[in-house]
Amino acid sequence: MASSNKDVPESMQSFETPPTVPGKPMSVGQHMLDKGAAMLQSLKPIKMMQQHVCTFALYSHDMSRQIETHHFVTRINQDFLQCAVYDSDSSSARLVGVEYIVSDRIFETLPAEEQKLWHSHAYEIKSGLWMSPRVPGMIQSREHENLTKTYGKFWCTWQVDRGDVLPLGAPSLMMSPQGEPTGMVKPELVQKRDEKYNISSEDLKKLRLEIAEPEWINPNADIWRKTGKGFAVDIEKTEMKCTVPFP
Amino acid sequence: MATSKVPGEPTQTGTAVLETATSAIQGFGPINKIHQHLCAFHFYGYDMTRQVESHHFCAHQNEEMRQCLIYDSPEPHARLIGLEYIVSENLFLTLPDNEKPLWHSHEYEVKSGVLFMPGVPGPIQRQDLDKVAKTYGKTIHFWQVDKGDAFPLGLPQIMMALTRDGQLHDNLAKDVEKRFNVSFDAERENRAYMKGPEHGIHHLANGGGKGIKTVLRETDCKPVESVPRVFV
Repeated sequence: MASSNKDVPESMQSFETPPTVPGKPMSVGQHMLDKGAAMLQSLKPIKMMQQHVCTFALYSHDMSRQIETHHFVTRINQDFLQCAVYDSDSSSARLVGVEYIVSDRIFETLPAEEQKLWHSHAYEIKSGLWMSPRVPGMIQSREHENLTKTYGKFWCTWQVDRGDVLPLGAPSLMMSPQGEPTGMVKPELVQKRDEKYNISSEDLKKLRLEIAEPEWINPNADIWRKTGKGFAVDIEKTEMKCTVPFP
Repeated sequence: MATSKVPGEPTQTGTAVLETATSAIQGFGPINKIHQHLCAFHFYGYDMTRQVESHHFCAHQNEEMRQCLIYDSPEPHARLIGLEYIVSENLFLTLPDNEKPLWHSHEYEVKSGVLFMPGVPGPIQRQDLDKVAKTYGKTIHFWQVDKGDAFPLGLPQIMMALTRDGQLHDNLAKDVEKRFNVSFDAERENRAYMKGPEHGIHHLANGGGKGIKTVLRETDCKPVESVPRVFV
């Protein structure tokens, strides 16, 4: 039940493209119910998502495993963003996790042990890996200057790269791409993404040369660069604190 | 912005304008599929006394699976505190046995009336909730707002759901009933006809009867040799 690469039964794996999730197709009745609910319900937090970002992430416990991610971003204020992360931008995309993004100002206030779970964004942006699909470069660039100084904390809850047909095991901590070998994204992953959106990450990188590097990246972020260690999450049995029997 | 509970400077006008422009250009495939708002309660996999009001915004992957984003309120600047996957009994039964304890049953939550769809008339919600009563859910929270955390701190938490009378804190129940103008007891009667999973609630679900918690373990990064050295 760990987030590490423990064997998953073959029956729980599939590498079809496009990926399919097991289960019967939607019935007409269910479509009607959903449409009806959406008309009656305001879904306010969902309507606040204003940005789609495509980038890559690496499993902290095994950085050779890497995924393309699609972040749907809500800005809560100038210092804080929250993102629902999917494995594509299609309507059948699988929800694979959540990322939080904070400004350097907020990050410096977090306890050191907490900071070690976070990653920096400067390299990811400067290298052209982080991009906003279908948005012209000029509009993107102003936002990027701010983002280079931010830090992210990303938990992945569905290991689709492993072929899991349903979400299995504990959540995995994810890290951001970096310039040194262990943190590099596989060229074929980048190529596939670039082709999909008809862009060149290499060109974006050149366009972003002018973006200033942050003067300081807190070394507690991307802690693997310093220690050579990553983190995995395990699930353990324990007592349930309760006043009434469970379950 | 005034309603935001997260510390930080107000969004600058330039940032807001840029983001509005961006949203007009981009496609939001998976987000547009979100069609449903469910309100219910979660508690921590090791501590039933810590209970969290949870607003689920759900999309169907297909008839047998939903994926939901969980917020701490239904307001625009609500905090995204977690997510939940909901599967049919059929799919649940295909899960490996060591996975099943991470999932919780929905039968009690639905039948007791405490899980509801804000703003949706009873007869309409009951058509869908009749299906939900037979499902299992896997819920993970990343942000312990009940502890007063200003930011999402620490490890993800496996959450569980109510399974019997007396578990839900009375003050929490009353507060939600008042704010959403619902009565759990009245709704319980309306849902008396509903049935849970066909094979009964699986003995391994709901933590397998035990508490569960997450722990962090340090691992070695893979040796550099195993990672391609070439960059684009």
